[in-house]
Amino acid sequence: MSEAYFPVGPGLGPEENFLSLDDILMSQEKLPGRAESSLPRLAFALGQGAAGGSGDSIPEGSKLEIPMWLAKGLHDSKRRIISVELPKIYKEAWRTVFSADANVVDLHKMGPYYYSFGSQLLNFDNPENPEIAQTILQTFISRFRRIMDSSQNAYNEDTSMLVARLDELERALFRAGQKGLNDFQCWEKGQASQITVSSLVQNYGKRKFTDMDS
Amino acid sequence: MAAAGGEGPGPEAAGGGEELELTPAQLIRSLEQAWLNEKFAPELLESKAEIVECVVEQLDHMESNLKRAKAGDLKVSVHRMEIERIRYVLSSYLRCRLVKIEKFFPHVLEKEKSRAEGEPSILSPEEFAFAKEYMANTETYLKNVALKHMPPNLQKVSLLKSVPKPNLDSFVFLRVLERQENILVEPETDEQREYTIDLEEGSQHLIRYKTIAPLVASGAVQLI
Amino acid sequence: MAGERAVGLVRELQRAAGGHLPPFRAEELRQALEEMRALYERNQADVSEAKAGRTDLIFLIRFRHCCLLRNQRCIVAYLYDRLLRIRALRWEYGSILPNAIQFHMSAEEVEWFNRYKKSLATYMRSVGGEEGLDLTQDIKPPKSLYIEVRCLKDYGEFEIEDGTTVLLKKNSQHFLPRWKCEQLIRQGVLEHILS
Repeated sequence: MSEAYFPVGPGLGPEENFLSLDDILMSQEKLPGRAESSLPRLAFALGQGAAGGSGDSIPEGSKLEIPMWLAKGLHDSKRRIISVELPKIYKEAWRTVFSADANVVDLHKMGPYYYSFGSQLLNFDNPENPEIAQTILQTFISRFRRIMDSSQNAYNEDTSMLVARLDELERALFRAGQKGLNDFQCWEKGQASQITVSSLVQNYGKRKFTDMDS
Repeated sequence: MAAAGGEGPGPEAAGGGEELELTPAQLIRSLEQAWLNEKFAPELLESKAEIVECVVEQLDHMESNLKRAKAGDLKVSVHRMEIERIRYVLSSYLRCRLVKIEKFFPHVLEKEKSRAEGEPSILSPEEFAFAKEYMANTETYLKNVALKHMPPNLQKVSLLKSVPKPNLDSFVFLRVLERQENILVEPETDEQREYTIDLEEGSQHLIRYKTIAPLVASGAVQLI
Repeated sequence: MAGERAVGLVRELQRAAGGHLPPFRAEELRQALEEMRALYERNQADVSEAKAGRTDLIFLIRFRHCCLLRNQRCIVAYLYDRLLRIRALRWEYGSILPNAIQFHMSAEEVEWFNRYKKSLATYMRSVGGEEGLDLTQDIKPPKSLYIEVRCLKDYGEFEIEDGTTVLLKKNSQHFLPRWKCEQLIRQGVLEHILS
């Protein structure tokens, strides 16, 4: 990791950071919705061209899949033209699974932005909001311990298995833990004062070699 | 050794108007305090331009002393090492401030704009110039490459709104230098109520930055 | 779906981990801007129709406006994050970038970099006495004045102090003043050996 590159991090809670690449990719994830009235000239734009057979308009009651950014932009509590439903991982059945044992869930496969996407869902006035918020928080609390332990105990080993089932926020946490561990080990071995080659230089160096090989 | 840099005014005492002469040891200690506070505070702290200026003078002074010393004198390498260490702390301190200035530039400049007459500035004049150039450079770049090619109603992006603010709710470790009473702590959950605490001298705490930000500024606590 | 090109730029950048700078995608950027122009024009036309009574088009207009905002956000975030990566290069390489990297930058990015370099140089000259203070040095706390280094590539003559020079040849080892070597180590010319 370059020590001089400080990217804009994701926003906190229901906030998004406009410039955060993480937040942009998170809000690209889709959620199920329904057209509450007929929507002219929108079928192709929403990638529903073939369905329905009614030209370029979306008939009332059609099921839709729309990205979070669009759902947020179109959300209007007064006139509901598109209604938004919960993705199944935030629904009651899955909430029960999480409360039983949050550690068994593959949050990468189900997410990979489980926490931040879930926090965004709170922007829609869903009656289940308190339960969703509670589940997200509890899930984090019950998984945190294991993530911290594994990031502090894996020194100099392949960690791809350890992070495979983690969501993006958890992976960032894991990396932070690993960096702390590595820095501490360096310090213990008296290497903390060693001046090292910039990681960017290292990366480009490797590149150059592969370029020459090919 | 004489006070910092020999002649010239010493750093002003925080808040007070009168000038205070510091011994070199005190000067280096105040640099180290400013450095640690800056390293651990989420926001840009008040500029300590006077301390920086005095430390620079002190370094120059030590350098010229070294030039006069005999080669091969054992004391030379000890002094040389001392210079290197002070220069490291000074560079690290200024670097840390530059990183924050670049990270929060629209907010830093906004704060400077709304600063009341007589209130201490968070930026040194040189940092202020740097921040203004950084803002202008970035705005011009975004405008020329993308924004001016966008539809008329989308040609403006407020950097003040889009560059994130420092997170004052983040938690910091601190050591108490001067005893404090009745510090109001905001609740962390809905079930909690706000409450007050006393901070005993020498005690250490983990606390929300916002709660103790004024104490960092006044020098009553040290971030660690 | 609208916005795909712009988010593609963001996705590619995010995949380049560790602050690495991928090539500037001028063509994709142009296409994303073109998409915005088209969306805007269609909206202008539909606004006229809506004013003439087609109120069922209002939702469509809103939809396109969302797409426009999304494109704007992706493009600005893409450009801004690249600036942050380019900024890191100044701190890790020094003020002259290798051709391989400059090749990945647009002309406007090079211009931004040059201005950044200049502001930084002005700032660094203004602090720290006569010669200024090079803040890109002294990244780690010093342990000793002299350090043992091994040369990783042929570099040539290198001035250390008071006009004394050493010849930096591949695989040669030297005992040099720490503050003179830091940049060469970070650039990968020398390697710091711990005793």
